[in-house]
Amino acid sequence: MPSTRRAFLAATTAATAGLVWPHREAWAGPAPARVPAPASAPASADAGARMLAMSPLLRDEPLAQLAVDAARKAGASYVDARLVAWQREQISVRDDHVSDVGLRTDYGLGVRVLADGAWGFAATQRLDSKSVGDAARSAVSMARRSALLMPEPISLVATPVVRGAWVSPMQQDPFAVPMADKAGLLLAAARVAMAIKGVAHVDATILGVREEKLLITSEGSRVHQIFHRVLPGLTATAIDRRRGRFVTRDHEVAPMLAGYEHVTAADLVGQAPVIADEALQKLHAAPVVPGKKQVILAPSNLWLTIHESIGHSTELDRALGWEANFAGTSFLTPDKRGKLKIGSERVQITADRTQPGGLATTAWDDEAVAAQRWAIVEDGVFVGWQTTRDLAAAVGDTSSRGCLYADGYGSVAFPRMPNVSLQPGAEGYTTEDLINATDDGILISGRGSWSIDQQRYNFQFGGQFFWEIKKGRLTRPLRDVAYQANTVEFWSSCDMLGGAASYRLGGTISDGKGEPSQSNAVSHGCPPARFTVNVINTSTNTGSGT
Amino acid sequence: MSLRRSEAQALVKTALKAATLADVRVRITSSRSGNLRFAGNAPTTAGEVERLDVSVTATRDQASATVSGTTRDAPGVIALVRRAEALAALAPKDPEHMPPLGPQTYLRVDAEDPAVVKLGPDERSDAVARVLKVARDAKLVASGLYEHVHRSMSFGTSAGLFAYHADTTVTLTTTCRTSDGSGSGWGGAMSHRLADLDATAVARRAADKAEMTRGTAPALAPGAYTVVLEAQAVADLLGFLIGSLGARAADEGRSFFSRPGGNALGEALFGPQIRVYSDPQDPAHPSTPVGTDGLPLTKTTWIDQGKLLALTTPRWWAQKQGRAPVPAPRSVFMAGGTADVSGLVRGVQSGVLVTRLWYNRMLDPRQILATGLTRDGTFKIDAGKLTGAVKNMRYNESPVTLLKQALALGKPERVVDEGGTIYVVPPIVVEGFHFASVSDAV
Repeated sequence: MPSTRRAFLAATTAATAGLVWPHREAWAGPAPARVPAPASAPASADAGARMLAMSPLLRDEPLAQLAVDAARKAGASYVDARLVAWQREQISVRDDHVSDVGLRTDYGLGVRVLADGAWGFAATQRLDSKSVGDAARSAVSMARRSALLMPEPISLVATPVVRGAWVSPMQQDPFAVPMADKAGLLLAAARVAMAIKGVAHVDATILGVREEKLLITSEGSRVHQIFHRVLPGLTATAIDRRRGRFVTRDHEVAPMLAGYEHVTAADLVGQAPVIADEALQKLHAAPVVPGKKQVILAPSNLWLTIHESIGHSTELDRALGWEANFAGTSFLTPDKRGKLKIGSERVQITADRTQPGGLATTAWDDEAVAAQRWAIVEDGVFVGWQTTRDLAAAVGDTSSRGCLYADGYGSVAFPRMPNVSLQPGAEGYTTEDLINATDDGILISGRGSWSIDQQRYNFQFGGQFFWEIKKGRLTRPLRDVAYQANTVEFWSSCDMLGGAASYRLGGTISDGKGEPSQSNAVSHGCPPARFTVNVINTSTNTGSGT
Repeated sequence: MSLRRSEAQALVKTALKAATLADVRVRITSSRSGNLRFAGNAPTTAGEVERLDVSVTATRDQASATVSGTTRDAPGVIALVRRAEALAALAPKDPEHMPPLGPQTYLRVDAEDPAVVKLGPDERSDAVARVLKVARDAKLVASGLYEHVHRSMSFGTSAGLFAYHADTTVTLTTTCRTSDGSGSGWGGAMSHRLADLDATAVARRAADKAEMTRGTAPALAPGAYTVVLEAQAVADLLGFLIGSLGARAADEGRSFFSRPGGNALGEALFGPQIRVYSDPQDPAHPSTPVGTDGLPLTKTTWIDQGKLLALTTPRWWAQKQGRAPVPAPRSVFMAGGTADVSGLVRGVQSGVLVTRLWYNRMLDPRQILATGLTRDGTFKIDAGKLTGAVKNMRYNESPVTLLKQALALGKPERVVDEGGTIYVVPPIVVEGFHFASVSDAV
């Protein structure tokens, strides 16, 4: 959020390029809604087709087929083999110097099998026929051993056989931009921020990620996909040594499934003085007075609340207890679908793996099920689960929602979150409209501290920047703010939504779940929205600020 | 198998020999791991994974770049060196770059158990079968993970350093829930030695707590309580303090340990009974003697008699401040007493027993104030006895409170960690521990 009222209101009416989601037409991505899912992918752009044709994974494709054949021969009823290559390029700057330049790659093959009704998985980075064959056979023997302890076999719902390839749309390959240019951009942004008196440190970074996978299944599907994700970042630290206080202020830019154009659009150099100035404002902001209040949550804050309270609670594996030992279960149980009201009637929440720019957007999931868009919450009522082929079978559905994902060759694919988004309100309100309609509240933007229980009832979230609202006006910045609520109470209190023009995507590239733990990239879109919550002051352990 | 010393040394040598720059560092990590996951009283997924990562950092005129890959043959490793050197030529200077370390002397540590190295699907399945038997006999629903890893890390520099460390870890955690979802209990164990892991005992702990939490639990009013934190909960909170022990953040005014013009070294910040140290050679819980950048990890006392004695100090900051570098710890031991948890509970007139803490996040680094929730076994204590389960609660509290307001320390034990740093800590009775709100989660 910009640091003055005037700048803030300007940004909400003609938002800056860094914060606005580009028009759909600019993207050659999959169509926004495809139900029922097509059996073949939309055509990739020409550059994407070249990228696929030049892929080093094609050389090892016979090994993936060998893994499938070896596991079938050893007795598996279903097999999928994945060649997965990751490249991560990171450059980081602290104050006046480059602190890290790294290009990390990770490549290998994982084979997942169903044998005697149980899952087995083995992975290796040794890409020779003996190692791959051994891995496939060892996965089968693991599955058979597990099957002895299983009262019920795993079953899979059917899915169409697909052969296709897809490259996530982008305008500029982040790996093709010279390191020196990236370093120059970050050093320039840091220099501008450091020039603001009172700013003690600046950290700036660009992370570019390329994920490529080639999936072959024993049912005859073959899917080859390449994804690019980018994350620019800029953080200013202001310190008041005399009073022993310090604060950090982050740029609120979100990671995206996009190319380097997203880094350019974030305008790190142009935004640096704003971020720096806001760090100082945070340092000298007034402490919040706790209590029950209305809060307007900007999309840069609300996305994470959607993720934690709705995204995770509607994962069917959690509801069935498959995650009970780590991530937890859910307050939603299988019998509550279509019955439980979890929000006010204006709350419409949609899962969408076809959304342009969404970090979890794909053409097919990791068992070759086509990407879809479907309702999770309709008029405040919980209506839809996130599923995979085995989960769908477990609750009697006839098809999967396509949520299977593995975060690398060495990870077994399991249910992961699609992009889950709150739909904008029909009234077409702006953020300013929401502020004007609020008598006593707080406008919260950006991502701060967040924590939620293992069944997704009780949460407590912070933010990056907090504006006091009095009588429909932004009055002054506040500090030490967190809001606490219970999921159903929170969504039931939602009484105002911004319109389509105020809708933005937020997201994370490191959502942890599973054992051994895996990381997922996922986006959440939303307009600003208004809720009633318990506001606490985080400067003391009593929550009262005194 | 993870890479043996001779294989790792040969690869490091190949890389360094191919280098054309004078400052090149090679780090190789390799592992073989196996796991069996279970839920709903049955296995869900199983896996065996071989991993390898070769990472080359090349530096030219104080400009560095790191390139890594999953290659183990000579041409592949040489290609990584070439790419790192090429990237270093494009990278801007880092004035904080330190020259590579030469040969170092490391403590001798034996952290490999051959029994863990040999584990396979049969042993994993047998261990899980023991957990499932306890759960089924008690009509409970078990979920969890049995996991083992054998890994090695090697580090070499063009200044002649070569370091190697290999270790094993075996871990079992399980959550038992009542079939009506009203009760939940957790148990876990982690060791480098297979013989230390008793699957039935871990399952019994979880099952007992699930039984004790069955039914509708009353809610306590938010506020300050005398709390008995089990060792796992202590480690969950203490990790925030260990992670805040950086000298640079303290010296720069960005930490709880900052003071006007310096840091809090030497200050008595905690109760006089508090002692926290690291020891790579601890016989029961050995850990790597090789620190960041190849610095030797030695026995280090961080807090003694409540006084802060050391802060982690990277090489460049140490040089700038005229101090000795202090690498970040890979094991954390907190001294305690002899009482077990039930012994501690007996000494509490009115309070709360907490099994473990969940979704812990920093709220305010100035005070190391964190938030999170109790989970899988939270009980009311009255007159030295557990009088029943209570609803889980969110805490907003600092590990500083724990170390300042501890009333009693129990017998230290190894807890289950996620970050790769070993924690051996006591259960603690602390007064004035703040719970902020109630959760309906079971």
